[in-house]
Amino acid sequence: MNFYITYFIVAAGLFAFVGLFTMFGVYAERKVSAFIQNRLGPTETGKFGTLQVLADMIKMVQKELIIPAAADKVLFLAAPAIIFIAVYLGFAALPWAPGLVPANINIGLYYIFAIISIETLGILMAGWGSNNKYSILGAMRSAAQIISYEIPAGFALISVVMVAQTLNLQDIAMLQGILSPEKAKFFGFWDVSAIGGILSWNVFQAPHLLVAFVIYFIASLAESNRAPFDIPEAESELVAGFHTEFTGLQFALVFLAEYSMMFLVSMVGVILFLGAWNTPLPNIGSVTLASWTTGTAWGIIWILVKTLLLVGVQMWIRWTLPRLRVDQLMNLCWKVLTPLAFACMLISGIWRLWVM
Amino acid sequence: MNLVQILFYLMAFITLGSALVVAISQNLVRSIFMFFVTLFGLAGLYVLALADFVAVTQIVIYVGGILVLILFAFMLSGKEALATAEQQTNRFISLNNLPAFLLAALFLVVMLNVVFKADLNNLQWVKAAIETKNVVPVDGTGINSIGVNLMTRYLLPFEAISVLLMIALVGAAHLSRKEAIKT
Repeated sequence: MNFYITYFIVAAGLFAFVGLFTMFGVYAERKVSAFIQNRLGPTETGKFGTLQVLADMIKMVQKELIIPAAADKVLFLAAPAIIFIAVYLGFAALPWAPGLVPANINIGLYYIFAIISIETLGILMAGWGSNNKYSILGAMRSAAQIISYEIPAGFALISVVMVAQTLNLQDIAMLQGILSPEKAKFFGFWDVSAIGGILSWNVFQAPHLLVAFVIYFIASLAESNRAPFDIPEAESELVAGFHTEFTGLQFALVFLAEYSMMFLVSMVGVILFLGAWNTPLPNIGSVTLASWTTGTAWGIIWILVKTLLLVGVQMWIRWTLPRLRVDQLMNLCWKVLTPLAFACMLISGIWRLWVM
Repeated sequence: MNLVQILFYLMAFITLGSALVVAISQNLVRSIFMFFVTLFGLAGLYVLALADFVAVTQIVIYVGGILVLILFAFMLSGKEALATAEQQTNRFISLNNLPAFLLAALFLVVMLNVVFKADLNNLQWVKAAIETKNVVPVDGTGINSIGVNLMTRYLLPFEAISVLLMIALVGAAHLSRKEAIKT
């Protein structure tokens, strides 16, 4: 019975983490955007505006739940929950440290890929349920974009899987550091199994994975509907896209889903390409930095730091780049990213057979 | 009754119930979204049958692909076409429903036959497989044997399917291409 209680506690803990991260993310986003646009951002509420998010949350909870008269009530109410649950379920398979993973599934990566695709359905549901032209246009754009960008993202992921020979995220993480059961080779020629650190990360084990990482990162921006791929909620054209009609708690759920999606895709990228919970510090002779900084607590710290850095890059990109047009977006996906991702997959096969 | 059985009945109930709603519901969009619940319940049943790969594939292909495509087709079609579909008189016995009724009844007969004729507890080929130790152990290596089998024993069907999909893609591209204006 304890077995099940542990699972419930883990699930609740993950939920709490997602909530905390969203609060932090909203505050960070405001401060980052303010810095980039040479403003101050929130300053009034609390020291440096730290209580701003809390105040926003209290405001959000108090708001009236408005259901448009012409809306499909059931779909309208269910949509935000489905969008959030789809993203939240994905967290179940992510490893946090050596031996610390909520659910050690042998097809973890495939599972996450599948679960993320459910979000599309929730967005379409929100768009249709609102019975509003802006909402439905936003939902259609979002679905078209997510489906298209799943292809280069999928092939970038497959090129990692072909090198790692497993779909288990914990095993993929294990292969990129000093705990690796196989030999880790820097650029395919220098055995760094004992040295570890940044040299044994996937992007440095096989250089073409660096390209795959960039492809995955661009595609993940599109999948979480972030700028420069935010045409689903283009403020200047569509008011707010598929979540135009949502108020109060429902809007909060959509927001929670967006920020947890950012964290989820960044964490998947970190696990697959940037060494997961492995330390970036290598062993140098008798100064065994890598061995000192590997462990459960260290693992959590490293993966959090790396993921937050990637989230930071996402925010940086959002506030610096202009929005892409639909045709530019599709051109980028089908004519640039997809062929490149195919090439990465091909090189992965050759790499595994002849170099590793 | 242990937990697995309880879960099985729960999943079966969800699947059947939502499938019934899909068939009965007057609102086409809602029945599409209910279909999503049906597919999810089926995926749960696959997990209980220890076919986790099939379950996840079901979600990727049906939920992430086919359902979204159906919704696209739905949202791009005109309001009039949908209105006529929704305003059909819905009597249980009518001439319109006769072919559907016949097909469903015949299919039910076939299914019942299969269930009653097949002696599930001592099938010949299952016994033979257990005797010759030709079984896949349940230890998380199922996906490896799926991959190996797809690339060796079932390579020809696999390639044939990929050619078929390619043909469909080329056909779709041809249909959607604008005709050059003849001068």
